[in-house]
Amino acid sequence: MSSPVTVWRHHKNIKNYLNKKGKVLVWTRVFVAPAGYEQDAPYFVAMVQFEDGTKMPLQVVDFEGTELKRNQKIITVVRRLSKVKLDEVIEYGIKAKPV
Amino acid sequence: MKIQIKGIGITKFGELWDKSLLDLALEASTAAIADSGLDRKNIDAVFVGNMLIGKIAGQDHLGPVVTSSLGLNCASFKVEGACASGSLAVHLGIQGILAGTYKNVLVVGAEKMSDASTSQITWGLMGASSSKERKAGLTFPGLYALMAQAHMQKYGTTREEQAEVSVKNHYHASLNELAQYPFEISVEKVLNSSSISYPITLFDSSPITDGAAAVVISADDGSKGVYITGSAAASDTIDLAERKSLTELKATQIAGKKAMEQAGISIKDIKAAEVHDCFTIAEILAMEDLGFCPKGMGGKFIKSKATRLGGRCPVNTSGGLKACGHPVGATGVKQIIEITQQLRGKAGKRQVSGANIGLTQNVGGTGATVVVHVLQN
Repeated sequence: MSSPVTVWRHHKNIKNYLNKKGKVLVWTRVFVAPAGYEQDAPYFVAMVQFEDGTKMPLQVVDFEGTELKRNQKIITVVRRLSKVKLDEVIEYGIKAKPV
Repeated sequence: MKIQIKGIGITKFGELWDKSLLDLALEASTAAIADSGLDRKNIDAVFVGNMLIGKIAGQDHLGPVVTSSLGLNCASFKVEGACASGSLAVHLGIQGILAGTYKNVLVVGAEKMSDASTSQITWGLMGASSSKERKAGLTFPGLYALMAQAHMQKYGTTREEQAEVSVKNHYHASLNELAQYPFEISVEKVLNSSSISYPITLFDSSPITDGAAAVVISADDGSKGVYITGSAAASDTIDLAERKSLTELKATQIAGKKAMEQAGISIKDIKAAEVHDCFTIAEILAMEDLGFCPKGMGGKFIKSKATRLGGRCPVNTSGGLKACGHPVGATGVKQIIEITQQLRGKAGKRQVSGANIGLTQNVGGTGATVVVHVLQN
């Protein structure tokens, strides 16, 4: 859904958020997703707090349960973001994985 | 500050398949002008509150879309502040009058949502959030779910207390024939309805609605009637993660305090209020941040029935966003119309006896924009 140049600009920032450790402050499980994310629903999104104290909302992947735990430790990983058409640029972004 | 509310006009709220955005805006506008008793040629400026129509139907430049249909050549503006677009338009209209530039201003809030799919609307509304929140796949139910979870963790607020907001507002809507859902529901119904974004369910959430609401506001001419005596807007970080606290809306606290100071009143003087219950947790936050109850006590305050019709200070007698409906650009104007009707003593079955001072609180996004108005007889 984003133009190639905006995807390129966003991708330059990914390294700043990679391999960061943190914990889940609060979480939700999204059942009704916005356009582009429907294929992933239901999925978990957590408000994560990194070790430096800053917060960031991140989709939680590689998790099979139905309820996340508060203070669950996570690490950031790169994953594909919303679904795009065959002739569009695939956008990658940061998500969180429980550790 | 004294700005007269000369006229009000509102459409039915709901899925109005046979009406376009312009049909709705004109219906509300002509009703408000007729109610004001003014000749439409005396309208000096038109402010249109709307969020989504440019995105979902490609129609921008809404100011002249409305004025040309009304046969006017006056100044016209479109105001966008997410779900607070309507009251932000009222706030700006007031500034135009206070500056002495305009004498009579028409403010119309309108939204046409049912033409788009739920996923398109969910995506469209996320324009009011941050880029990081969009990339995380968050939605507005998702963002408010995070705030609800934080409130439950910190203050022990229960899901039942949240459901009570919806039950109350549906009861109020059952007395409002213009409401989208004019019927009552139970706590069980709220808790057992389908999950939108855990823990928020369908019946915690305001719906997708078509509708419009308009007011004609004028400079103080000393005549009797309802006046806006406080109007304040405040902002906060667009990104929820950048806030120190997930359990309060700082912009509500700032705008609420400022509007009440302008009016020279305190929260205890408020006899009726319309607040932004886009999700049940939002009304709990509004009660606390405006000062109706201490921080953390919002759930218990709702459960005490103090804000139900017949209680100490009825809140959302229109049915709120939850049950009256939430055509986003129209909501802020609708809130002002509901309080105007209460102060005029014309609210019918949902009349609050002795209502002489009222308040409205309208939120954009997760509280990045908040507008508060105080109305008095």
